[in-house]
Order: sequence, then structure tokens, then C-alpha cells
Amino acid sequence: MKIGLEIHVQLPTKSKMFCSCPTTDAEAPNTHVCPTCLGMPGSRPVLNRKVMEYGIMLAKMLGCKVADTTWFSRKTYFYPDMTKSVQITQYDNPVGEGGIYYLGGKKPIRITRIHIEEDPGKTKRVGDQSSLVDYNRSGIPLAEIVTEPDLSTPAEAREFLGQLIQDIRHVIDLPGDGERSIRCDCNISVGKERCEVKNVTGLKNVERALTFEVIRQTKILKAGGKIERETRRFDEERGVTISVRKKEFEADYGYIDEPDLGVYHIKELAESIKIKESPLKMTLRLADQYGIDQKMAKQLVTTSVGLAELFETVANRTDVQNAVKWVVGPVSANWKSLGDKDLQPIVDTICRFSAGGITDTECGIEIKSYMTGEDASAVMGAAADLDALIVKFLDENPGLIDDYRKNDKAANKVIGFVMKNSGGQYSSSDVVDATKKLIESRL
Amino acid sequence: MIGLDLSKLKSVNDKYGMFHAMTEKESVEGSFHFSAKDNLTSKDMETCSGSRILEGYRPAFDATAIAKMRAAGGELVGKTNMDEFGFGTFSANSGFEVPRNPFDTERACGGSSGGSACAAAVFEDHVSLGVSTGGSICCPASFCGVYGIAPTYGRVSRYGLIDYGNSLDKIGILSSKATDLRKYLGIIAGKDEKDPTSCVQPDFNPGYRKLSSVAVPKEGMEGLSKDVESAFRKSLETLESMGTEIEFVEMPSLKYAMPAYYVLATSEASTNLARYVGMRYGQQEGDLSLKFDDYFTSFRSEYFGDEAKRRILLGTFTRMVGFRDRYYAKALQVRKVVIDDYKRILATHDAVLAPTMPFTAPRFDDIANMSALDAYKADYLTIPANIAGTPHMSVPCGYGSDGMPIGMQFVADHWDEEILLSVAEDWEKVFESKKPEVTI
Amino acid sequence: MDRETVERVARTAHIKLTEDELERYRSDLEEILTYFELLDEAPECDNYGVNPIEVADILRDDEPRMDIDPASLLKDMNTYEGYVRGPRLS
Repeated sequence: MKIGLEIHVQLPTKSKMFCSCPTTDAEAPNTHVCPTCLGMPGSRPVLNRKVMEYGIMLAKMLGCKVADTTWFSRKTYFYPDMTKSVQITQYDNPVGEGGIYYLGGKKPIRITRIHIEEDPGKTKRVGDQSSLVDYNRSGIPLAEIVTEPDLSTPAEAREFLGQLIQDIRHVIDLPGDGERSIRCDCNISVGKERCEVKNVTGLKNVERALTFEVIRQTKILKAGGKIERETRRFDEERGVTISVRKKEFEADYGYIDEPDLGVYHIKELAESIKIKESPLKMTLRLADQYGIDQKMAKQLVTTSVGLAELFETVANRTDVQNAVKWVVGPVSANWKSLGDKDLQPIVDTICRFSAGGITDTECGIEIKSYMTGEDASAVMGAAADLDALIVKFLDENPGLIDDYRKNDKAANKVIGFVMKNSGGQYSSSDVVDATKKLIESRL
Repeated sequence: MIGLDLSKLKSVNDKYGMFHAMTEKESVEGSFHFSAKDNLTSKDMETCSGSRILEGYRPAFDATAIAKMRAAGGELVGKTNMDEFGFGTFSANSGFEVPRNPFDTERACGGSSGGSACAAAVFEDHVSLGVSTGGSICCPASFCGVYGIAPTYGRVSRYGLIDYGNSLDKIGILSSKATDLRKYLGIIAGKDEKDPTSCVQPDFNPGYRKLSSVAVPKEGMEGLSKDVESAFRKSLETLESMGTEIEFVEMPSLKYAMPAYYVLATSEASTNLARYVGMRYGQQEGDLSLKFDDYFTSFRSEYFGDEAKRRILLGTFTRMVGFRDRYYAKALQVRKVVIDDYKRILATHDAVLAPTMPFTAPRFDDIANMSALDAYKADYLTIPANIAGTPHMSVPCGYGSDGMPIGMQFVADHWDEEILLSVAEDWEKVFESKKPEVTI
Repeated sequence: MDRETVERVARTAHIKLTEDELERYRSDLEEILTYFELLDEAPECDNYGVNPIEVADILRDDEPRMDIDPASLLKDMNTYEGYVRGPRLS
């Protein structure tokens, strides 16, 4: 089974793609419209810079090659929601081509292309007699992401979409309801011939529509029938797909270049745009690049991308060992109390330790004191008290060191004791750190 | 010619049919009056682009060119008749009235800005905004014996222009006075943030430059009527006597310009005209219970004229899967070849010169007998500069044995309107043009 | 240029042709396209653009603005409760 998706994502600009009409929700139909998005004779498009920037960001996120020069094309088809009967989209030289996106960090899904285009308006049926159209949506910018047929099950398609949306949201600040505004054309073939289910909205419906198709196509093939190449639509209420037209009646879009906009040399723009790495990608990269456990990398990234970046800085300035010892240790433990303080002093402290300028204890105290804003002597005093408490317990239970050698869970005994007898004045991570440090010193 | 008297506008129009819509004012309040081709949107007058499918379209905005003329004190007195969407060489493909030549009302004004050339020839001190896609300013200027300039593609904002071919359309000026070209082009030229293609132009502040040399392509001397050829040769002598060096050159790309032009123009036009479906503007009275395909088809079949349908069919075909590369993509390449040919010649000459049209204004009965291809071929002299986007200008240069005006067309390099404006003013001093006798 | 092709083109372009028109446009298009065979022998070139002059990198800022009252655009349209009326969808 092969599944390929064409995913339409509305881009979160303030104004429309080719005119300045606002993209916010309108209180009434046809109130966010102008001659351009209504396709009035004599009107003309002018491209919103932000749309191009978002297109480039997504192309980069998907690992696509960003075009040096890109331009737009006219796709001609007739429908009441399309004011010009022409959609301004991209055909030759789209923003990005030939990317690879890893599902769950493992399975590569090839990205054919990504292009930017305008959304049509919205139609409403009036009984079966006529229609009503609201053009407020006409001209809202879209990115269309086209995958190769590399997905193998409906569930996988859904998983892919979920991950993709999360990453897109991270990269371009897509609003929270982004999932609703995702529309997909789903191509699926169980046998040789494929069918396309057009315009499915939302993750759940994509899986439902594809599952229905799997069953439908399998049944036909089992009965010795042939799948006809066609376009279908998904009926959300009944959960079924319905044939819209056979292949031979497909519209000939007659693409030509759009002469009203000219071309865009985006090489330099693309180089200047840095995208935020998706959390998943960063986790995988950290684990791979620094040879740390994926769990540890994930913990860093989930706590904060800023923390993960600090880890990288420290690892690069000193070494991975120090980064693990300090950033995954006390820095991570006190991350919440850092607020918006500068990170540079922390890096400096760890560098001084690494260079042998300060001791282990001093380094820990300095970091904690800086991050929490507590007085160094108070931190030191508390740490000293904490150390004293642990030392006392270790002295009273000499067998513990041997136990620890066999199983490091033995440290939990110490931790439990301290937590119980200190009235909760130390954070658990401080206790863990101190315990480990003192046990290790006795090994 | 006659002075413009608004109380007599209607009776003048009855005779010549230059206007599709006219002002209802009784006197001109502005500091000058002008008319504009009916494919330029105007707030106060219906705008139909010569097509019945747009009947009832009252734009909510002025085209930038019209807005600028008004802002400069101009008063718009009428919207001029034209071939439907600009599809024609004689303005005979109008969905409304066909303008008649002021020198002989049995003959055409040329097209597609026929009404504009007619108004410029009939009214004293009148200037008209025309639009050229493949020669629609120079052709009627030549047939009506007036000056007409189509500037470089992108020189005048196309905001508010009802598109024919977006990579070809240019707004320009027609007038009986050469000095008007400079004056009014100066008003309408310039960058406009509403039209990206207008935003790359250099500043427009033309000075004076003497025409020192022109190149006459040998290909431009083929297929001319006797009258046109002799008037043109005489004009070359006059130019020489004015100190202009004349060299006959070869421009082998010119013969490919005509088919390439029609492919590009109709490919673009057929997408531009896709929006006319009986919704939103223009004709909208139809049976909404029809399925949308049938509803749209009914309007398009009923209200598009014969030539519009022909060009839509041609342009839809040339961009179809399987034909697009042979026609559309090849035509884009030919455009570049023609531009390169002009650049090569204009590197050593101020302008390229040829007659504007191969014959004088034909009679309407002769036009009716022309095949579509014959009419397309009649544009072969005006098309090359239009496909190349180079500025070009027709000036009156003689009269045929039938008494009809003859024009010649100068083509300059991109953005070099200066040489054309200079030539026009020098030429006007040595060539005495005839004014049509206007009686109502 | 055969009749089937003209029919297909006309259907794509949403134009209905009578039998007479179909034949007339077929023969016109055939004559025109025969002449256009000239293009096949025209020289090829790379580096051609969308426009006759280079129009590049014209972008506007993402600032919402409405210059024309939408009501004035809708006044001549066939509307119902603010919606534009259209034909049957299927």
C-alpha cells in the first residue's frame, strides 16, 4: 500500500497573500474583501513578503532545496469559490523541492516539493438549488507540501501529519487551532492504480478517509475487479468516499507563468533566514552529535530549547562530560528559577571549573546562587549542611558504599533519609547531586 | 476637427461612434479634457472593455492612469470604443458601437484603441489614453493620422487596466499634437505600488536628443501597399535632410514575432477571461439552479463575441498539456530572441523605423471578408516592438491616393522614450498633417 | 486540428459551440496553427523571462489595510445576506 499526501497549511500572516485585506475572522461574509481578492477586472496582485518568508522556512524545515529564483503560475479552473477562475500558485520552480522528512526520527518520507498559493473562498449549498459564496477566505496564503507515496498505512499518515503540524507550529508560530485548518489531498493505491481523495480536513478525517479507501480498494481487488483512477471526496458524516470524476474528465489546468508579479531571487533571503530546529530534530541531533543518551537529550529539549542550546555551548567550550555534569545536573535543576537572566555567567563559571580555577563545590554553589538569586553564603551554608547530613548517614552506614558498587540504586536510601530529615528545605535534585558526589568520593 | 462642446458630444458620437460612455456634465470644468479606452476602469462611468459580458460593471476604483490624469486637472469626457478586450486590428470586433474613421466613415479607425484615435483626430486639444498589446495604439494612430506612443512595458501602471495579455499590455497616449505625448506621458508614467511590473522603471524625465541614426529592417519593407511604400520612402528622404543617417538592416527574428505574439497573447488572454462567468460583476442574470459548469458556459457562450471565442479557444489550446512546450514555452523563447535582436540593432542606432501598417484604413466591407489569419497578419509590423516591450510611436507621414493617412513607427530601446518624444516634436515641425473635416 | 480537439478545448474553456461554430473555429484554428508552424524553426534560447523586462523581487509588507469599502464592491452583485449568490455546486 502506498500513500502520498498533498498538505495545505494556511500561513499565519496578518494580511492576505496578494492584497492587504486582513486575515482575521470576519464578523460577516464578504467583509474582508477588495477588488484583488474578488478578482474584479482591473485589479492586480502584489505579493506579501511574509508569505515568501514562511514558504522558505517550511522548505528548510522539510530539508528541501530552496530555489535560487522562484515565480508564480496560473492554474485555470472553474468553480464558484475561485474569483478569477485562476488560482495563483507555483508550477515551475516552486520555493522548495526534493526534501526528506523523518517520521519519528527514523523513517524517511520524501518531500517532492513545497509551494505557496492562494486559498479560494468558501461555498455553501442552498438546498440543492444554488450556492452562496463567502470570499473572506479568498486570497489567504497557503503552503502546499507534496510528499512521495512513502507512507504505508492510514495510521502512519495520521502520525506523519501530527508530527508535521507540530513541527510547522514550532517553526512558524502557527496558531493553536492549526490542525483544523490543515487540508489534505490523499493519494492512495492498494494495487497498481491510485485514487485521490480531495480536500479532507483534519487529522482524524485523513485516517478515516484513507482507511475507507483501503477497505474499498481491497474489496474490489479481491473480487477480481480493477481500481479506476479517479478523484473522490470524503463525506465526513457518513465516513465514506464518493467518486467525483474519472481521470479522463480531469481538468486541464493549462499552467502559464503569472506575468503580474515578476520573479523572485530568493537565494540571499533564504540564506538570511534561520529556522528554529524542531524539538524532535534537535533531540536526535544532540544524541547523535554529542553521543549522549536519547532520553537525556529529550529531557534537555523538553525542559527548554534554551537549555539544550546551553548544553551545546558548554560542550563546545569545554567538553561533553562537563556539559552533562553541570547542564544536565544543577543548571537543569534550577532552570525554572533562572527567569530571563543572561546565560553567559553560567558558561563562564563552568569554563573556570574546567580550567581548574575553581573547585567542584564552588562551581556548583556559584551556578545555583546565580540562577536562584540566593546569596552565595546561604547556598554554601545550605550545601554544607546538606553535605554534613549526608556524610553523617554514610558514616553510620558504611556498607552502603559496597551496595552502591553493585547497584547505584543504593543511593536512594541516602536520598530518602535526607529528604525525610531535612524538612524539605533542599530540592530533590540538589540532594541527588550531593549524594552522588559524596558517594563517588568514597568509592 | 472641432472644438469639444459637451452639448454636442452626443451628436458627434452619433456620427463617429468613438465613445461607449460619455460624461453627463454640460461643461468641462477641468483644465483639460481627455478620453480613455474603455478597458481602463473609471469610477463614474461603466467600464466594459468592449464586451457585452461586462455590461453593468461600474468599478469602485479608477485606473491609476485615469486617476493621475484627473489629479493633474484633467476631465474625463468619455470611454472609447474598442475591439472586445482589445481583440482586433480594426475595432470592428466591438461588442458595442464600431468607431468610424474621421477621414472616411466607411472605413475603420484601426484597433484596438480605435475610439481613442478617432477622438484624438476629431476633437481639438484632446488627448486620449490608449492601450497597446500588439499594436493597438500605433495602428489606429496611423489609420486616423494622429501621433500615438506606447511606452516601455512597465512605464505606466496597469492598475485598473482590464487585462488582455499581462506581459504585453501597455498604456499610452494618442493626440493630434506631438507635444502632447511628452506632456501627458509625464503625467501617467511612474512607479505604482499597486502594479509590481511598474516598480522597476528608471525615473522618467526625458530631455531632448536629436535622432542621429535609424535602422530600417529589410523585413519591414515587405508586403507594403504602393501608397504606404512611397510615403515611407519619401519620409526617409525627409529624415535624411534633417540629418538622420539611415541604414537598412536585417532583423531575421521579426518573422517569428507574429506567431509568438499570438500564442503569448491568447494564452494569457484565455486565463484572464476565465473570470467572466456570470457572477460578481457584469452580466449576472441567469438560472442559478444550473450546475456551475453549465451556468458559466451559458454566459460565456452567449456574451463573448466571435473573435473573443476564437482567441479563448486558441489560447486554451496553446497552453494545454502536450502542446504547452511547443507553443507557449517556445513563444517565450522567441520573445527573448526578438528582444536580443532589437538590443543588437539599437546598440548602434537611436531607433528602428518601419511603416506602422502595411496599408491604409480599410473599408468595413473589406474587413468583413478577411479571414482571422489575414487580420492577424496585418499586425506584423507593430507586433515585434510589442512582444519585446520596447517603446514605440507612430507619427503621421503621408496620405494615400484614397486620401487616408499613413503612419510610420519608431521603436527605441527599453526605457528610452526620450528619443521618441524628441523625434515626434522635430517631425511635427517639418511634416504638416491634415486634419479631418468634421461636420455634424 | 480535428473536431474532437476543438470540442475538448471548448469544454475546457467553458464555451458551447454549435455544429456550425465548431466547424468554423476548427478550420480557422487549423489555418492559424499551420501558419504558427513557423515557431518550430525559430531559434531557441535559455534565460528567457516571464516579462519582457526584468521584474524582480517586488514585495509588500504584511500590514492589513482596507482602502475600499467592501459594501461598495458588493452593491452591484447578486447577494443574499451578505453572501454572493452562485450556481448549483453538483
